[in-house]
Order: sequence, then C-alpha cells, then structure tokens
Amino acid sequence: MKKYSLILLASMLVSPLALAEVVVIGHPGGPDSITSNQVRDIYLNRSQQLPDGQKVRPFELPEGAPARSEFHEKVTGRNDAQLKSFWSQQVFTGRGQPPQEQGNTGAMKASVASTPGSIGYLDASEVDDSVKVILTP
Amino acid sequence: MKKLFRLAPLAAAIAVAPVMAQTNDETVSRMQQQLDSMQQQLNSVKDERVRFNGFFSTGFARASNDAGFDGVTDESSVADQSLLALQGTFDVTDKSQAVLQLVGRGAEDWDPVVEWAYLSHRPTNDLQLRAGKMRLPFFMYSDSLEVGYAQTWARPPAAVYDPVAIQSYVGADATHTFNFNGSSLTTQVFTGFTEEEGNISEVKLRNTAGLTLSWTDYVWTVRGIAATAEISINATRLAAIAEANDLQLVDGQAILADEERGNFFGLGLGYDNGTWQVISEVTRAEVDGKFADTDSAYVSVARRFGTLTPYAVVGWIESQDNEERAGAFLAQGPTGIMPAVPESVLNTRRDEYSVGVRWDITPGVAIKADVTHVRGFEGSAGGLNPAFILANDDDTTNVYTLKLDSAF
Repeated sequence: MKKYSLILLASMLVSPLALAEVVVIGHPGGPDSITSNQVRDIYLNRSQQLPDGQKVRPFELPEGAPARSEFHEKVTGRNDAQLKSFWSQQVFTGRGQPPQEQGNTGAMKASVASTPGSIGYLDASEVDDSVKVILTP
Repeated sequence: MKKLFRLAPLAAAIAVAPVMAQTNDETVSRMQQQLDSMQQQLNSVKDERVRFNGFFSTGFARASNDAGFDGVTDESSVADQSLLALQGTFDVTDKSQAVLQLVGRGAEDWDPVVEWAYLSHRPTNDLQLRAGKMRLPFFMYSDSLEVGYAQTWARPPAAVYDPVAIQSYVGADATHTFNFNGSSLTTQVFTGFTEEEGNISEVKLRNTAGLTLSWTDYVWTVRGIAATAEISINATRLAAIAEANDLQLVDGQAILADEERGNFFGLGLGYDNGTWQVISEVTRAEVDGKFADTDSAYVSVARRFGTLTPYAVVGWIESQDNEERAGAFLAQGPTGIMPAVPESVLNTRRDEYSVGVRWDITPGVAIKADVTHVRGFEGSAGGLNPAFILANDDDTTNVYTLKLDSAF
C-alpha cells in the first residue's frame, strides 16, 4: 500500500515535467472557454469567429516548434506537410490565408495578450496571466 | 508672516494631495487606454494588408507514342510540364479583398496569363460574394487545378478533367456555408460567360448558370454540380488536320455548336481520414449538335506512409451520342464538295490506369512519379490526337511522368 502511494506521489511529482502539455490560450477579453472542435474549425479555415461571435485572429508557431506538433496532433490531426498542402489549396483558391506565424513562444504570448479576438497555443508551463487558458486539449 | 507664506503652499499641497492622487489614477488609466489603442494600431499595421504567395511546378513527361494523352508525346520537353504562378491578396477592408493570380506556363513561352482576378466580399461570416475572373467550379479540384502541390496526383485524372476545354469564366458567384455540429453544407451559385481558345477548339459559353452543393464532415465529402450554358464550339484542330491533308473544309463545317444548349452534371465523393484518401467523380457533359456528349468517371485510392503517398487511379470516358455522327465533314475537293472526314472522328472512348507516388521531401515541396496506361479506344479517337490514333495500329499509349511541385 505504502509502495503504491509512493509511486503515486512520484508520478505526481514527475508528471508536470514528463507531460509538458499544450494549452489553447486566448486574449483576456475573449471567451473563457472553447471546444476542441471549435479550435479545429478555426485552424482549418472552417470558421472565422470565436464562440462569442468576435472575429477570430488565430496565431501559429513555426514549423518544428514542439508545441506546434503537439497542438496539431491533438486538435487538427494534421502534420506539417498536410497542413502546407491544405493551406496551398485554400490560398490559391482565394478561400483564406493560414494563421499568422509568430517567431517563438514569447512572441506568441505577447501577440495573443495584445490582440483582441486572438487565440494561440503554448506549453502550459509558459502561460502567465497576460493571457487566459481557454482549453486543454 | 514669512513662515506663514512658506507654510501655505505646503498646506495647500497637503490639501490637494488626495485630488492629485485621483488625477494621477485617471491619468494612468487614460495612458493605459492610449497605450492599448496604440498597441492595437501597431497590431493592425502588422496585419499585412497585402500578401503574396506562389506555386511552381516542373517535370518531365514522355509517352510511348504520339497519341497525345494530356498533350504528352514521345518528344515532350521539360517546359511543357512547367509553370510558375504568383498570387497577390489585397485586403480592401476587413470584409473585402481583391485577389489576382498570374500564371506563366512553359508550354506558352512563360507569357503570364491572368487566371484569377476578382473582388470578394463577406457580408456575414457565412456568406461570400465574388465578382471577376474565376475558375468554373465543374470539378472537385477545379479551383486548384494547376496547384500540383495541393493534389496527390501528378495530374488530375484526364478522363474527367480533360474533356471540358475551358477552365475560367468572367462573372459572379455567391457561396453560403451552413455549419452543423461537426459538418458543413456549402451552396454556391454562379453565372457568367467565357471565351477561350485552346489547342483543340475555340469555345464560347454564354448565359452560364450553375449550382454546386457540397457537404463535408471533414472525413467524407459529397459534392454535386449542375450547370447550363449556350455553347459555341469551333473545332480548329479538326480544320487544321483536314488542311494538313490538303482538304479545305466547307465553311461552317468545323462549327460543332452555334449557341446550342449545353449541360454539365457532376457527382463527387471523397474520403480522407489522414491515412487513406479515396476520391471519385462521375460527370456528364452534353451539348446539342455534333459535339460529343461524354460520360466520364474515375476512382482514386491513395495511402499515406509518412512522407510517401502511393496512389492508383482508374478512369473512363465514353461518348454517348455516336449515332448522331453518321455523316461526314464536307470539304472542297478538286471535283466539287466531297465528304472528307467522317464525323465519327469525334467519337470518344478510353480507359486509363495510373499508378504513382507522391514524396513530400519537405513541407512546401513534393516530387511525384507516375505511370499511366491508356487503352480501350474501340475504334474511336479516344479523345486524343485523331490524326495519330486513326492512322496507326497502336491501340494503347503509356505516359511516364516525373514532376516537382512546390508552393510558397
């Protein structure tokens, strides 16, 4: 019994490190929560608005960023090559432009904090109160 | 007295202090607001009101003979498979934009051609209105016909995509998207006109009107289209072939349709779960008069293995009104008017089998290799080069393609 609780304790200590988790963040003035499907629809150009009706401004991290791969694996189910191919179809048929890329996680946080209607994603460990977490996918 | 004077400002300062503090708060909050609005203005400047994108393709294709499947012969060059496109997207307002796409094709000496030039406006989140030069939305991949990078194949299945010689029109469309929980229904109506000169014919469409309906749950897609137009077709290649054989077609003989009613119907089905991609389209094109009414279909299956996506496609096309072409095109012969070319030269039948692979080298660049085998002409010209097919015993053609597609 003692052994189990020790394992439990150990896993609780380890988990924040081992399971660095990506979270969806929003501008402080935006909605408090959003569903995974709504986020997917925004990042795949199927919807241009937040649940509260505001026009949405999604931001993306560059290819190769760990949080980007994790976000797309969990939310859109597409890898970088598939996303590129998808967006080339959207762009060259005039249906839309891909989310604006932010150079790094710091720029992502600053842009979401200062752009009304924006959403983005970050590793949970990098979030502070300048933005709000609206979904943990 | 002196002391009093000295004290007075102090007293006044103390008395005023709370008021000052309040003003300071107001000032800070006012400055905060100003800062916020400046930041917003900065962000909106950052919004990139103008964006440029482009795509590029090059490659090499060679056929086993001169049947001319997709224009490929046994001496095709790199230029024929090459194109470069640049697109500018200009945000006019939050809800309106202007899009201009220029395409230069190696086969046309890289002369830039305007493929898209339109203004679009989104009055609501669900509705988009466009006016200008756009693609005719006949097929599932009409819009991205030349964006090789956006397709799995080396070329769209020719049985379905080639019989309609025209790609663009000038007009207007309205697209409405209705989002259900987890799926969406898109309705598009379009109208306009077009006039294009291809290698095979000059085609005019007047009073075009059409409707497309597309439902998708993002794994399955079902699409339907119905369109109608008044069509004029001048078979310039037919006249040229006759001329090459020292025959001058009688005036008007090469006019296959003169403002005749033409209809187009298509049904498409797609399945893409990220690993398997299955696509099928069935189309019917009918034009009153001598011009061949054709039915076409293809089924394509592809599977992604990481960066490699092998695919296989089976396609078919067959003209449905051969009995209407029992006569002959008349030419001016040495002894008077004589039948020169049987009308049945317009009969079409062929089967296509393609296997290929797409290799995503890096996001933005893909290489494709494709082998296509074409057969089953059954005495027709197969919709290919009749001068070759009918004069030779070859009843098949193989086309080998290596292609690089990129988007940036």
